[in-house]
Amino acid sequence: MNEAIVVERLVKRFGTLTAVDALSFAVPRGTIFGLLGRNGAGKTTTLECCIGLGKPTSGSIHVLELDPTRPRELERLRPRIGVQLQATSLPEKANVREVLELYAAYYAIASRAEEMAARVGLDGKLDRQIAQMSGGEQQRLALALALQHDPEVLFLDEPTAGMDAFGRRILWTEVERLRDAGKTIVLTTHYIEEAERLCDRICMIQRGAIVADGTPADLVARYGGDASVTIAADGFAPGADLQHLGTWTKTGAQWKLATRGEPGLALAAVVTDANAAGAKITSLDMHRPTLEDAFIAITGETIEETE
Amino acid sequence: MTMLRMFLMQTKMNFVWYFRRDGEMMFWTLAMPVFFLVLFSFAFSTGPNSGSSTFLVPGIIGAQVLSSGFWGVGVMLATFREKHLLRRVYLTPMPPAVFFASLVVYRVALLVAQATILVTVGALVFHVRIIGNPLEIVAILLLGTATFVSLGTIIGALARTTESANNIASILTVPLAFLSDAYVPIDRFPHAVSSALRMLPSTQFIDTFRDVSVYGHSLVHYGAWIGLLVLWTVAGTAISARTFRWI
Repeated sequence: MNEAIVVERLVKRFGTLTAVDALSFAVPRGTIFGLLGRNGAGKTTTLECCIGLGKPTSGSIHVLELDPTRPRELERLRPRIGVQLQATSLPEKANVREVLELYAAYYAIASRAEEMAARVGLDGKLDRQIAQMSGGEQQRLALALALQHDPEVLFLDEPTAGMDAFGRRILWTEVERLRDAGKTIVLTTHYIEEAERLCDRICMIQRGAIVADGTPADLVARYGGDASVTIAADGFAPGADLQHLGTWTKTGAQWKLATRGEPGLALAAVVTDANAAGAKITSLDMHRPTLEDAFIAITGETIEETE
Repeated sequence: MTMLRMFLMQTKMNFVWYFRRDGEMMFWTLAMPVFFLVLFSFAFSTGPNSGSSTFLVPGIIGAQVLSSGFWGVGVMLATFREKHLLRRVYLTPMPPAVFFASLVVYRVALLVAQATILVTVGALVFHVRIIGNPLEIVAILLLGTATFVSLGTIIGALARTTESANNIASILTVPLAFLSDAYVPIDRFPHAVSSALRMLPSTQFIDTFRDVSVYGHSLVHYGAWIGLLVLWTVAGTAISARTFRWI
């Protein structure tokens, strides 16, 4: 089968709260799949159901053709998946080497402590105790623990939350490397740029349900709206030769062009025209639709909670 | 082989992480019992060779067995759960039973160290002699450990947080230790009270252990106590197994 993960009409209720509401998706092998949504949208609950941490209220889940809700199948699944949870707490007095060696024993593999530490930028910190590590370093160690046994499918729950730029770059590089090696990766995130940069496919989730899915480029093209060029210039008004670019509107001294075409080319044409007319440009701006625009258009809210 | 490696590694790490690198834990485990022995030996002594130390050495070892089960296993499991450590282990092929066994074995190793120190100090300072049959002593110690580990695991199962596990363990440990012949002979209480206190598993265990170890009685005369301890263990195990949640 070409699908590493198949989730069908997954429902998860906690009491009267429906955290996940009839969610379905499939993840082809060798791809990076992102669940994108606000905190509390149901991303983590969905991921937890896939790895046997939560029991679905209804619906079905198959990971590598195994059902994680059945103990026997979960047992066979565990060695084949790797997981990085949002908050991994490791014993405070444990050091990096010991944790990696213990997990190697869990998975019945030879310890690769040095190699793994180097891969997540913790080389030279093998004897560092958990209590002395920053949150980002602990997250990177958690990633190493998820990878050490070379799993076929990797589940990452908000993997870069609390990481600095260095950690983020390491994680992104590692995830892309794994995908190129044929692994399947499922990640949840509320960082738009992370989803855009990494994911082959994205499911946008709102209140436990999928509101849109597709490739990042596809989502932007479908929902992101028009690109725009905004210009304010004394003595400038879009002439006939600029009308074919798109729709012009005027607000105060500002002219705004909404275009379906390449905004860079439109910008160049507008500037050339303004210069030719001898207009003095006071402000100039170009905006290309982003995944964030698509997210706002689809969900009616920004992804970061506004206080 | 795989299981054995997991078990040995986990047991070793338990020892390193929760004991060797934890000064407070080392103090409570190794120094406090000796401190109690010395303090109570002098406090209760009515003169040289009054026998109070002979009474206290098995009593304190017994109390340590009790607290190993309640704190070392029960509260520890609640802490592991609250810190999401059990969740993380649950995601790996490490079987919960092996994880549990390594925690128990780690605590048993500490108990052996504690008992050795107490017996040594007892012998050198207070002339306490262990005269019982070694096999019988080991047998009753193992049974007592099983009893209090199984009862302690109920605490780990029912408590949702470390704090509540701590509270439950405190409420149980203090009376169980002080009202069970560990430090003070309960036959000094009125008959009705001491009879009631003999219903406690701690009394049944500590009395039997003391009589066998320092008074040289044979375990075969303690069939009723042993039967009750087995019952406590079976009940504790059954309740723990039904109520314990790894995640």
